[in-house]
Amino acid sequence: MVILGRYLLALSVLIFFVFPIYWLFAISFKTPEEIFHFPPVWYPQKIQFANYWVLFKDGDATSVWNSFILAGSSTIIAMILGTICAYSLVRFKTGGENFAVWIISQRLMPPIAIIFPIFLLYVFFGWVDSYGGLILLYTAFNLPYVIWMMRGYIEDIPIELEESALVDGCSRWAVLWKVVFPMARAGLFATAVFTFVFAWNEFIFALVLSRTEVTTYTVQVTHYFGGQSNFWAKIAAMSVLGTVPVFITVATLQRFLVRGISMGAVKG
Amino acid sequence: MAQSFASVSSAVRRSPQMPDHNFRYWIIAPSVFLLLLIGLFPLIYAFVVSFQQITMTDYDTSFAGLVNYQALFSDQRLWESILHTIVITVIALPVELILGLALAYLFLEKMYGKQIFISLIVLPTVISPIVSGATWRLLFDQRYGPINQVLSWIAGREVVMLWTIEPILVYPAILICEIWQWTPFMFLILLAALSSVDKSLTEAAELDGAGFWRIFLKIELPAIWPVMAIAILIRGVDLFRIFDMVWALTGGGPGTYTETISIYTYVQGFRQFETSYTAAIAFLIVALMSFVVTWAIRRMGLAK
Amino acid sequence: MVAMSSGKREGRMSLLKKIALTASAAIVTAGLTSAAWAESAAERAVKEAQKYKGQTITIVWEAGLQSLDPLNFSGPLWEKLTGIKVKVVEVQTAEMFTKIMQEYRAGTGAYDALNVIPAWMPDLANAGALEVLDPYVQKYGYGDELQKIAATYRDNQMKVDGKIFGFPDDGDVFVMYYRKDVFGDAKVQEAFKAKTGRDLAVPKNWKDFGETGAALTEILKPQNMYGAAFFRQPPYTMFMFQERFRNEGGKFFDAESMKATINSDVGVKVLTEMRNENKFMPPGVEQWGFVENLAAFMAGQTAMTISWPPYGRWAAGYGTDEKALSWVPKSTVAGKVGYAMPPGGHPELAAGFALSVASTSKNKDAAYLFIQWLNSEDISLQRVKLPTALRDPFRDSHFTDPGYLALWPDAKDYLAALQAGSKSGLLDLSLLQTDKYEEVLRQAIGKLWAGEDPKKILDAAAGEWDAITKKIGVDKQKAVYANWASKSGAYPQ
Repeated sequence: MVILGRYLLALSVLIFFVFPIYWLFAISFKTPEEIFHFPPVWYPQKIQFANYWVLFKDGDATSVWNSFILAGSSTIIAMILGTICAYSLVRFKTGGENFAVWIISQRLMPPIAIIFPIFLLYVFFGWVDSYGGLILLYTAFNLPYVIWMMRGYIEDIPIELEESALVDGCSRWAVLWKVVFPMARAGLFATAVFTFVFAWNEFIFALVLSRTEVTTYTVQVTHYFGGQSNFWAKIAAMSVLGTVPVFITVATLQRFLVRGISMGAVKG
Repeated sequence: MAQSFASVSSAVRRSPQMPDHNFRYWIIAPSVFLLLLIGLFPLIYAFVVSFQQITMTDYDTSFAGLVNYQALFSDQRLWESILHTIVITVIALPVELILGLALAYLFLEKMYGKQIFISLIVLPTVISPIVSGATWRLLFDQRYGPINQVLSWIAGREVVMLWTIEPILVYPAILICEIWQWTPFMFLILLAALSSVDKSLTEAAELDGAGFWRIFLKIELPAIWPVMAIAILIRGVDLFRIFDMVWALTGGGPGTYTETISIYTYVQGFRQFETSYTAAIAFLIVALMSFVVTWAIRRMGLAK
Repeated sequence: MVAMSSGKREGRMSLLKKIALTASAAIVTAGLTSAAWAESAAERAVKEAQKYKGQTITIVWEAGLQSLDPLNFSGPLWEKLTGIKVKVVEVQTAEMFTKIMQEYRAGTGAYDALNVIPAWMPDLANAGALEVLDPYVQKYGYGDELQKIAATYRDNQMKVDGKIFGFPDDGDVFVMYYRKDVFGDAKVQEAFKAKTGRDLAVPKNWKDFGETGAALTEILKPQNMYGAAFFRQPPYTMFMFQERFRNEGGKFFDAESMKATINSDVGVKVLTEMRNENKFMPPGVEQWGFVENLAAFMAGQTAMTISWPPYGRWAAGYGTDEKALSWVPKSTVAGKVGYAMPPGGHPELAAGFALSVASTSKNKDAAYLFIQWLNSEDISLQRVKLPTALRDPFRDSHFTDPGYLALWPDAKDYLAALQAGSKSGLLDLSLLQTDKYEEVLRQAIGKLWAGEDPKKILDAAAGEWDAITKKIGVDKQKAVYANWASKSGAYPQ
């Protein structure tokens, strides 16, 4: 019975979180008359993929691809650089408290205030409207988050494992790749998901630092909110397109969340 | 406990290995480089500009002293926006934490379909905040949205609740949307943390007869505390900077009733090009947040 | 993974495009080869632009529906005629001002031509972001055709301080749309007379509107129809406030002291009436934007509404078969829509667009020639007739064009209404830092819907306006205001 209760609870939670997504999903299939119908229409009469098709035809769907490249690349780089930096902070206390605090302070500045100087910086380097420029930016933005999160997860790794590896003759780098990364994989997964999400949903910098080449999905979606128009179908379809890749990624990398890795030989 | 292990073995930490002294610096180098590259110039620029008087019409770069900073104190709208932001942060953060923790426990043990459940629950966080704000605006719409329709069914008569206009409903609307979108964040992070807690410890405690709360407070909470504290910190900081979702849901309205500090900064900096004043606001915010964050870090024992 | 398509938004446009391209090419060729006849501005532009063949010019355009014009029609056509490529930078309306200013301040030279909302012109011109166009108009002989733009747009949306900074390119004006069939229904007329003692007629002033709307809502209840609805969201209502306030005799400022006078009795009356009107409109109308209001009207749920010209075209079913307009609810009221001046008789020329050249452009002449060509008699006529156009008629010739008149049965009434509106229309308030003043108004509306007292709201708003004026410099703003107030469209004549 506990199990049934658990399922019922899980289901109600699911409904709360998924219903608005369903609504958005449904909008992408509804006709405008259904979207703006009184009383509200709960499901579309017909499922037709015309709205999605239009996005591909117009080339708008490339904005999802752009977002994917930017978010994906910056996540991978940030995860690697940030985790090893976190390792240094945890195991060697590099820079002490001040350094750690300085890192987190990088996340405190409201983007609005630094957008223009960064714009100027990018104009100077010729990085406006370029993939590399935005990847660099997102990586830098996410580093504080990755570093601080991985600090917490790395602290949970018993140091004996690393020490036995060192004693076995591994170099420091090998210890990182062979022991730390695998042991922290649940944390890596959770951190990577949100690092990706932060980069994926970033709007203001993508808006200012792009013109025509590197339009991301967040910027593209705002093109559909006009003063004299509202392409709800496109907004919804685009959002669904933007969500599916992440859903698949999260679903497949789920297994890293396996509970309770036993220490076995190490623990006394 | 992981913490005490670390401190006990710190004496043994430095193995008799080849010079690894520089290793610690090599691995922080790329991160530091990137952070300096992107972080330093804007900070200096904003700092300098805050002492000038650049507005939309006047490109006055002469040194104007503390004029902008003085103006901060008499700007009522600014302080109101800080209040609004604090209200949202102080309510949303604990709720997201508790709900996230509860959900993490719900999905901790094996369960059929767990993979699907978790992936679906994480979806709200993935949607662009602009889209989520706009979607909830539609959901809350009096005429075209399902929420009021359901409420009408329950009440048995037509319910008129203008969620994005009536002062008494606006904050609940924002909070619902916010909690909906970001509880999964806490949930996944805490799930990962709980998953890493050594099962043998909890099993041993159970065998000894300890109840759920005992195990939680004595074993699991301390174990996940480093991660949980950081998640709280990060989410708190992000809540303070909240912009896209509120902008799409209420536009800061009615009037300036739900204007957060980022929205106000946006209006000043982006619409009205009060470049210098905006820089001053930004430093005020950074100063405030640094103060709070440093206090929080010390209090939560994060930087030891 | 994701298919990358190269052609942007073609397909259904291509047949029309082909016809337009061929026709235009024919016209241009005929023009170029005829020696004795004075050449049109479009022809002149094309001719002069030949020397810039192979270059690319960038133009900033409102994202979404608006940019279909340069992406599918005018851009490709221009390239065909002159060899100059047009790169369209789509920007959401709300961000256009910001992007233009930022690129200008950073001196990037990234934009050549611009779309500018006329209310922004004083700010952009004063900041130095816009190129003065008088020398170009002279050089390329555009003076004559420029004069033929409908007077209100021409005299009000082109110049700042006597210098030309942009070409008005969009006849945005508020039109009253009403259901002819409802107003002409004998039973409804009877019920109305019985209820109010007057004859049912399209209201000519706001007092009548209030009465008519309330009565109609009662009478039409069995049909689930309301007397009227508007887009009551603050940004849109801000325009309506500007319109009604002036129609009722209000003045924004005291010309001598430059103190704000929006909190006069007129202002309070307007706000109070607006709130009372919401009572006979669909519940939740305070949340309605452009599309919600459109959906209600198109579904036949409201008997009156006021909005921009596109409502009229789409209600008649013109263009709504286009894929690009698939988000527009299908009209159930085609053939049943009448057009009139909003109550008061002086509609707001809300927003609008003008074409300008960026002062930091590296291709100013090429950019200028493109906008001269776009804005010219020949080409602008074709552009406003595009089924997906959001550009509304703005030249005298547009209102009488046989091609346009033939587009749907009631088109002649529609064009007549637009033309009348362009004659008596009121200009958006346009000062230094207009957005600050407009923002105060937007928030005032928000507070109004939240239930605050109109007098308190307006007193606070007037106070804020005065503070803004003081910060900018009373004398400075006074001069700009005097300049604006002297325009024919500033206050009802």
